[in-house]
Amino acid sequence: MSWCLVEDGRRLAMAGGRSMYYVELLISGLASGATYALFAVGLTMVYGTFRFINFAHGELIAWGAYGLLLFMLPPLSLSFAAALAPALALSAIIALGTERIAFRPLRKKAAVTILIASIGASYVLRSALQLAFGGDLKSYPVAFEGTVDLMGVRVTHVQIAMVAAAAASFAALHWLLRKTRIGKYMRAFANNPDLAAIYGLPLAAVRIAVWVLGAGLAALGGVLVGLDSNLDPFMGLSGLIKAFAAVLIGGPGNVFGALIGGLLIGTAENLSTAVISPGYKDFIAFAIIFLLLLFRPQGLFAGRTGVR
Amino acid sequence: MKTLVRISAAAVVALGLSGAHAGAGEPLEIGAVTPLSGKLSIYGEGFQKAMLVAVNKINAAGGVAGKKIRILFEDNQSTSQGSVSAIQKLINVSKVPVIFGPAASTNFLAVCPIAQTAGVVLVAAESAAAKISDCGSYVYRVFPSDALQGKGVSKLVNDLGVRKVALTYVNNDWGVGLADTFKREFIAAGGEIAGEFAHDEGKADYRAEVLRLKNYATTHVVNLTYVKEGATMLKQAKQAGFAPKWVMGSATRSPKFVELAGGAAEGVVGTFPKVAKDAAAFKAYAKAWAQAHGDAKLPIFGGYNYDMVMVVAKAIGNASAYTADAVRAALADAGKAYDGATGNKAFDANGDIVNATYGAWIVKDGKIADFKP
Repeated sequence: MSWCLVEDGRRLAMAGGRSMYYVELLISGLASGATYALFAVGLTMVYGTFRFINFAHGELIAWGAYGLLLFMLPPLSLSFAAALAPALALSAIIALGTERIAFRPLRKKAAVTILIASIGASYVLRSALQLAFGGDLKSYPVAFEGTVDLMGVRVTHVQIAMVAAAAASFAALHWLLRKTRIGKYMRAFANNPDLAAIYGLPLAAVRIAVWVLGAGLAALGGVLVGLDSNLDPFMGLSGLIKAFAAVLIGGPGNVFGALIGGLLIGTAENLSTAVISPGYKDFIAFAIIFLLLLFRPQGLFAGRTGVR
Repeated sequence: MKTLVRISAAAVVALGLSGAHAGAGEPLEIGAVTPLSGKLSIYGEGFQKAMLVAVNKINAAGGVAGKKIRILFEDNQSTSQGSVSAIQKLINVSKVPVIFGPAASTNFLAVCPIAQTAGVVLVAAESAAAKISDCGSYVYRVFPSDALQGKGVSKLVNDLGVRKVALTYVNNDWGVGLADTFKREFIAAGGEIAGEFAHDEGKADYRAEVLRLKNYATTHVVNLTYVKEGATMLKQAKQAGFAPKWVMGSATRSPKFVELAGGAAEGVVGTFPKVAKDAAAFKAYAKAWAQAHGDAKLPIFGGYNYDMVMVVAKAIGNASAYTADAVRAALADAGKAYDGATGNKAFDANGDIVNATYGAWIVKDGKIADFKP
């Protein structure tokens, strides 16, 4: 009889281990999902306002992450805190520059022309990154390796920062879009650009706001991913795919839909590793893109287009 | 007038003769596809230096069959595509009959069919994938195949008294081949694999992989991977509160691995092809290296590169002519007779070396030390 108890005890312990495994995967997924949501904001806002998917958006993520490294290394050797703002600014400047050089001259052309221009821009920006920093993995000269124990699950400080950064960013975005004048202009242009122009609303200011916000949040996400693991010149490409899937779930143009989309993809791909090989994790985002484009291209939560 | 013609004719003949004479003194050229740039260049420079130490030693002793030897190095940028273009150039432009192949099994496997089809002898110094045995009759290596190392890892786990492990391996020719032989050996010896999966090379985030290993709930995890991948995984495992006993292969037996993994590498054990450092041949290599490079440390796999040049030079010396077929015919005897810095190089029918002994290593106090289970 006694061996039976031992056996049962072990089975219980294993069952406990298994459910804990899913909790661990869920938490990892929420943290990655938070960064995907940060990546997705710019992509969906640019679509909402200018009606094209910017394939160079991933490079804003990567340049944000590498920008931080640039300011932390000699000759500038800034501290992490001091380098963060210039890194986000660098990404915003690159976004505005790309818009001015590549996208604005083409704004009267067919959407596919701008799309291809954005693919070209992504190659230029990624190659510039490789040229400047090399193709090897890099890491920041600081490491935040602390962990906290959350009911038996180890969570790293960086993962907590990911969730906190996304929560704060989306709260601020909500306030900006609902309560401020520029936010209302942004929504107006997204809703009906011609009518907004006839009313004399400032397109230039809206354009700057959309690109700076989108690039800044993408760069913030890139920095967090860099802190979590390493910097890789191709990090923008995988970030773009996750962001694109998040945008499709939320409905193109829907900022808060992108938040939900990002969290969904993050948790789905991490939970999937319980059944499929972890090497194929990225497959989930592709599968979501494929299925949504096939059956529901307007997104799961979409009604109309526009920045909402 | 006649005299002038005669003198001219004599001059032409003389020139022709001197030309032929210069031909006789020309060094024998051997090709080498070597990672001199790209991600493997940190190793490639050491490979090149070790090969050149052997070349200088041979040439200082009068060369091979009365001629000096020279290696034509072609960079492969550490990639398969680069390796293919480099070997095409060596075969079609430089027309060398013997080539030293590139490091990394995947790169080596990309070029071996080309050498085999062209009928050029291809030799590997540090490619371990079991698949290389099937490359063909012109392909040789002086590094033990993973068919041998797989046995070594299985023996190490058995010696530790462990019956059940989780297994993960890098998803390329080397990792998959090594994992296969390990699994076969371990299960045949009565072991059990609680769970296994391949992981991708060069990723920054292995958290999902780590959580899955944790879920297998074994005391020991066999992780057959490279320096960077291994270091990242061990670090992220430690962060996730997962601290099994890690058992690894020879590729992570490097101070760089310990440095990158930080404290997470402490206690890791693994196997490696053992080299008898007190043997005369090893001392001769170390001495030749010291003469050329002073106090600089012996490069990783340097001994194998040195031995590769030595054994091939021996075969060329015994061959009836400097052609691929003659050198190939001479390699078997040359290998059998050569006790090199990294052991005897007798080849089997697949061009693999027959003799290799595996030792065990451990990370102790942040240093790599010999380990006895």
